Amino acid sequence: MSVATPQAAVRTAVTAQDVVKVYGRGETAVRALAGISIGFAAGEFTAIMGPSGSGKSTLMHCLAGLDTVDAGTIHIGRTEITRLADRELTKLRRDRIGFVFQAFNLLPTLTAEQNILLGLELAGRRPHKAWFDQIIDVLGLRDRLRHKPSELSGGQQQRVACARALIAQPDVVFADEPTGNLDSRSGAEVLDFLRMSVKRLGQTVIMVTHDPVAAAYADRVVLLADGTLAGELRQPTRDSVLAALKHLGA
Amino acid sequence: MLRTIVAGLRARTARLVLSSVAIALGVALVTGTLVLGDAIKASVADEFARDARNVDVAVDPNTSHSATERAGLTPAMLDTVRRVPGVAAADGRQSVAVPLVHAGGRAKPALGVAVASDPRLRPYDLVSGRDPERPDEVTVDQRTAAADHIPLGGQLTLLDRRNTPHRFTVVGTYQQGTSRSEAFLADQVVLLPSVLPTLGEGHGYEQIVAVAAPGVDQAQLAARVRSALGAAGVTVRTGAELTQQRLRSVAESAGSFSTFLLVFALVALVVAAMVIYNTFTILLAQRTREIALMRCVGASRPQVFRSVLAEAIAMGLAASGLGLLGGLGLSAALQRAVGALGGTATTVRLPLSGSTVIVGFAVGVLVTVLSAVVPALRATRVPPVTALRALPEGHDEVMRTSRKRIAFVLLLALAGSGLAALGLVAGRDTGMLLTGAGTVALLGAVVAAGPLIVGPINRLLGVIPGALFGVPARLASANATRNPRRTAATTAALMIGVTIVTMITVVANSGKQTVNAEIDKQFPADFTVTSAISDRALPASLVDDLRRTGELRLVAPEYRGYATLDRPGTAGATPGDTFSISGVGTDSLGELLRPTVVAGRLDRLGGDEIALRDTAAREAGLHVGDRVSVRVADLAEDERVDPGRGPATTLRVVAIYHGSGPLASALVDAAAYTRMQPNVAGFDRILVRLRDGVSAANGRDAVERATRAVPIAEIDSAAQTKEELNSEVNKVLALVWALIGLAVVIALFGIANTLTLSVIERTRESALLRALGLTRGQLRLMLLVESVLLGVAGAGLGMLLGSGFAWLLDRSLSTKDEVITFAVPFDQVGVMLLTAVVAAVLAAVLPARRAARTSVVAAMVDA
Ligand SMILES: Nc1ncnc2c1ncn2[C@@H]1O[C@H](COP(=O)(O)OP(=O)(O)OP(=O)(O)O)[C@@H](O)[C@H]1O
Ligand SMILES: [Mg+2]
Repeated sequence: MSVATPQAAVRTAVTAQDVVKVYGRGETAVRALAGISIGFAAGEFTAIMGPSGSGKSTLMHCLAGLDTVDAGTIHIGRTEITRLADRELTKLRRDRIGFVFQAFNLLPTLTAEQNILLGLELAGRRPHKAWFDQIIDVLGLRDRLRHKPSELSGGQQQRVACARALIAQPDVVFADEPTGNLDSRSGAEVLDFLRMSVKRLGQTVIMVTHDPVAAAYADRVVLLADGTLAGELRQPTRDSVLAALKHLGA
Repeated sequence: MLRTIVAGLRARTARLVLSSVAIALGVALVTGTLVLGDAIKASVADEFARDARNVDVAVDPNTSHSATERAGLTPAMLDTVRRVPGVAAADGRQSVAVPLVHAGGRAKPALGVAVASDPRLRPYDLVSGRDPERPDEVTVDQRTAAADHIPLGGQLTLLDRRNTPHRFTVVGTYQQGTSRSEAFLADQVVLLPSVLPTLGEGHGYEQIVAVAAPGVDQAQLAARVRSALGAAGVTVRTGAELTQQRLRSVAESAGSFSTFLLVFALVALVVAAMVIYNTFTILLAQRTREIALMRCVGASRPQVFRSVLAEAIAMGLAASGLGLLGGLGLSAALQRAVGALGGTATTVRLPLSGSTVIVGFAVGVLVTVLSAVVPALRATRVPPVTALRALPEGHDEVMRTSRKRIAFVLLLALAGSGLAALGLVAGRDTGMLLTGAGTVALLGAVVAAGPLIVGPINRLLGVIPGALFGVPARLASANATRNPRRTAATTAALMIGVTIVTMITVVANSGKQTVNAEIDKQFPADFTVTSAISDRALPASLVDDLRRTGELRLVAPEYRGYATLDRPGTAGATPGDTFSISGVGTDSLGELLRPTVVAGRLDRLGGDEIALRDTAAREAGLHVGDRVSVRVADLAEDERVDPGRGPATTLRVVAIYHGSGPLASALVDAAAYTRMQPNVAGFDRILVRLRDGVSAANGRDAVERATRAVPIAEIDSAAQTKEELNSEVNKVLALVWALIGLAVVIALFGIANTLTLSVIERTRESALLRALGLTRGQLRLMLLVESVLLGVAGAGLGMLLGSGFAWLLDRSLSTKDEVITFAVPFDQVGVMLLTAVVAAVLAAVLPARRAARTSVVAAMVDA
């Protein structure tokens, strides 16, 4: 763990070291990540921000083991995921990572409850009853469990996705613009829940967002520009985020 | 618009290819059938062209004139024709059945043909050597020569009328096309005309043919021949008329075979149509947004409709072209196969007529376009705003139409069951037709009910893989039911093919079982010895030889013939129907012949007693105790049954028995038989029972030894009879399986097609699952299970329906006296089910690979 975080005593959940990701070859090659080194502390809510095309999604995909890197290493906990083969990566994602995407989070053929339990079932694990009830109640999904995704509102769908991400108590939850498709009230519900899961349950959450309001829910904001780290904020507010972004020229 | 269509076709080539294959296979079957029909026609026409070659005038017996028909055309007539001025040469054509002794010492019937006196009138082509010139020379069909390995100059043995062997020297071989003889697979030899009467029973000339002298007109010569012969009993035709009439009958016989094949082609096309329909439905569902966008930017409904149809036409044309080529290949393969069966390398003909090409393209394009019409119409109903809305997940509108659908299904099912029920109570022939129609309606009902029932069926079937493989299998089961219409259409395509195969297989098997059981029950002989030549009886000495054989316990000779049955007193006024009759030794009754007695008693038959089969008794209106006047026809003189001849004997009916197969319609005591028919030459059948403890192989050897002196003796056992029967049935089944197999293959392409399209549609879903921790293997497994669910649902439903329909058909074919036992060949059905599973797995391989290959991130970004 060579990357020192400001709070060195805190255990790091995810670490990236000199990560390079290049799309394409020759003339048209794009360096989406140009040697990024960054660490994410366990039990912290981090927002990744930056102008469009700055490499936020790419970074998140690499950190989550969804995509391969061209150089550098990534650790989740003590596991160096950049060395893992597809099968082990799949198992890692299943057991130790949770996801919330911007859209299309749920399988249309399954009910809300089946969607929530899908990851656990894939891992062959049984849900913890009390934990399940707690999540369902906090997210207010109790009377929606038997519904198919097409019968749920966008906000409800995202809450189901959050429940699924958290039910397995993963090492880290990645969220790529989880509120991008929601109105401000539904968005606030989702963000409140993510924040609560960090504060009360010690969950680690890494979220990509464009929205300074959403970023203000985080403990820390990391700013990207052209595939490199361009600064960071602690205890951000909407205004401090806006200011930092302005400074980046976004 | 054209540019969008072309661009669309290009973008969707891969997706269209699979469905094109379906159409191409259907078209291949149609054109292959047509080409084969033409090929058979051409080759048979060639054959008859040989027959009619150089013939200027042909004289045939007049079929309505029974005297000439019986006597044939006489040598006197031939002389008359030869003397007609303007006749350069004339010949009488005749053929007799001649026993040809093959390697192993057993005789089989062959056709002996008289050599032409003039080479111009040869109805065959010499391949090597020459025509026979001496009485001990023979020219053989090259197929016979090849099969028996007889070289030029080699020897060949024929039996004369007293079954004495005569050796002939082979001086030439000749070729017959797909001639009459090849159709019956009988051997053929050409001999001097003078030799023929010593070898077999002749019936005069079958035809007199003449060549005109130079400068003499056919019609003119025909008129002269006609007046020379007088009008009595003959038909005189010119060579041209003969050729024409022959070709007409050829066309008819080739036509009926083509019709048989076309039925299967039709099934294949129906299945292909369902696959195409499904493809367009899915493709258009996936393009809903694109179509809506086109409507937004100003495309009219007719434009959308036309663009879809244009796509269908382009696809139909391409697929039909492919299918046409496939059809040629198929026809060539079939001809090779038939040639191989016949033992010769038949020349493969591929006559591709203009009408075949037109029919092929018309069928292909029409089926494609018709299958695309409904999806195209649906596409025009896409409102432009859809482009702006998020799409609900590929939801079918089943609920909306389900009421109409249920009504339709019920109507069809009602009509089907009604027809089938009527068929069960109606007589045999109409009953079968009614039941057949009923099953078609019921099949239609199940197809229509498809979208309503596939859900429950797949959920039910999904339980097993769900328990075995867990989450991926449960996801697969859910996927298989998410688009009921799509699943239903995919399943139905397979179901139709499997239903038909199963039905035919089960009906054939039931028939087979029934006859086998019958053979076992009525015919407990270990071996039967019969004559290989139908009109030559086995010598009485053979019975003595067999009786002297230590391994045999019982030797029961039997006479066979035909007899008329009349109530005494009425005979002569209206001759009754003819029935087959057996003269049997009393000791064989109950021991070697065990008919089921329905009325009366049959432990022994007295000299003035007769037993009748129930069907015969009913037909003749006779009961136990009745007196009946019996005349046995004299078959030795004439193969035709002539009820006018033979003395009448009055017998008493003592038993009515039931049975079919090898039993004759009437049984009398052997002594009574010879009393009624004194000039029997020998026995027609000898039943043999082995001593206890003698093995079948030893018994067979013993019978072989005892019959060595009689080449015409043919040894059969019940087991062998059954085996032969079974292998006949299996051969026909194999042909049906092969033909329907094509429809099943098309349906499997349909599964592969649906899966591929679904995989494309669910790219994002697959990516999500992968992100959540589904391994590549599990993703593949998911698709395999989905495919197997579709396959098993289709095949399973088809088997259930097919078996049910077979049961109905069995019942409608059964009469009170002849009950066809319903027997499902579980081994064959099992093989089919297993094949369906394996094929479904294969069908899923490509889509599964495609799904597993796609990178998670790319999929999340793309879609
Ligand atoms: N599959 C790809 N092939 C080629 N280039 C890519 C690919 N994916 C991303 N890029 C490029 O990499 C860079 C970073 O993309 P990325 O999606 O990470 O940006 P982002 O910060 O998430 O942007 P946004 O805020 O718009 O989502 C961009 O320049 C993009 O064009
Ligand atoms: Mg992004």
